[in-house]
Amino acid sequence: MTKPAVVLIGGDKGGVGKTTVARTLLDYFARQQLRVRAFDTEVPRGTLKRFHPDVTDVVDINHVPDQMRIFDTVNSTDATVSLIDVRAGLLSPTLHALRNIGFIEAAKKGEITFVLFHILGPSIASLDEIVDTAAYLGDAKYFMVKNFINNTYFFEWDEATHAAYFKRIPGAVGITIPKLVEMAAEQVDLASVPFATFIANQKQSGAPASYSFVLRGYVRHWLETISAEYDRVNLTDVLEAKESSRPPIGRPRPIIKIAES
Amino acid sequence: MSDKTTPLYVVCSPCRRVGKTLVSRLLTEFYVVNDRPVAAFDLADEGPQLADYLPDFTTIADISETRGQMAFFDRLIADDVGVRIIDLDRRVFKNFFTVVHEIRFFEEARHRSIEPLILFIIDPDPKSAKAYAVLRHQLAQVSLLPVRNQIETAAIPYGNAPSKVNMAPTSLDIPLLDFPLRALMDRQSFSFSRFWRGSPADLPASLTPELSRWVERIFFQFRVLERLLGCA
Repeated sequence: MTKPAVVLIGGDKGGVGKTTVARTLLDYFARQQLRVRAFDTEVPRGTLKRFHPDVTDVVDINHVPDQMRIFDTVNSTDATVSLIDVRAGLLSPTLHALRNIGFIEAAKKGEITFVLFHILGPSIASLDEIVDTAAYLGDAKYFMVKNFINNTYFFEWDEATHAAYFKRIPGAVGITIPKLVEMAAEQVDLASVPFATFIANQKQSGAPASYSFVLRGYVRHWLETISAEYDRVNLTDVLEAKESSRPPIGRPRPIIKIAES
Repeated sequence: MSDKTTPLYVVCSPCRRVGKTLVSRLLTEFYVVNDRPVAAFDLADEGPQLADYLPDFTTIADISETRGQMAFFDRLIADDVGVRIIDLDRRVFKNFFTVVHEIRFFEEARHRSIEPLILFIIDPDPKSAKAYAVLRHQLAQVSLLPVRNQIETAAIPYGNAPSKVNMAPTSLDIPLLDFPLRALMDRQSFSFSRFWRGSPADLPASLTPELSRWVERIFFQFRVLERLLGCA
């Protein structure tokens, strides 16, 4: 039997593209035919939910009932993967809380697969999160995601700085998300559909749309490049790890409030 | 291939002054002579340009930014355009084929019964051979035909016999032409289609047969190409 997987997408810095990466993951999982449920922590309206309404619930990660809804049902849900798009500023507090409730320990014991996509921005402030984040991870699979939302270099031109951040954490794997042509990104945003649906020139309902062929082409090329990255790091193998012989995760300890809204 | 396939010609070279606009003019006017709907697209920015010679049939396009690419490529695959001819300047050569490759333009064109043919004007410059090899590799599923333009690059060997109808051509050949006719042809007021339908008043009678044979030779090759593309 496949162990349940929890995929956290976060970064304490705002505007680094967390939800965009979450959307690419949902498209990738759909192509791999993995059953997924998603949680959008951008209360009250959500951001991820607009693009993937059928699989996404908006939750308040500070709210105990919502925490229970996510973590108490990891084993009982039909979905193989639970994806959580953690809003800006809440990654570290969420990881702290997960440690306190025993979730990280459960992952270490092999009861669940825990994967973190840490979305990094091209700033020292964002990169400084890496060390803090890594302290919580235990045996979690840690992906450091360089999301090229602009023409940045992520300090590749300065080998010492680059190495200090990107080569410091043993076992961490780098993923590169290339920049998408701005007009294409805006058109998909306007259409409020998954990337795959946009490429197929369809609306959310499945009805034919009339999106620009050029923009669809750019999105397809971009998404294929990202899918190749996910293939490269064997993401489906990571998520489909076999369940251990240990007993399933027990009821978690009382939830600690993560952060003030 | 569908019975209603229409051709899309990309006339190109990474080098300057090899005769791209001349070939584009000849192609466009071939279809005008045959009363076929034709739309030419001028991606040149060095004059004289195709739009200067054939303003009624030519749209100037700029693909340096996304908006221009949308206006250009989205229009190329529209249903009502007819034969499409692109005069591709060397300065946009790389960008054009990069975009084409990324958005899989030729694949989409074929899906819509538009058959692309790249007419690559060869040149002794080493970057010409290099570019040709890259295109050959990158666009393996698309027809790519070298063009030997004897007018601009006389050093390139020229075969004497025209292609036979049932043999696939290995190149498109633009034969040499005497200087007086070349000078006449270069005038923006000169039209191959008007010449074909009746000699212009300012053309010396002694030069008419030579020009007729020259145009006939080229138009014959165009007819062969069309048949081989399945577009005739």
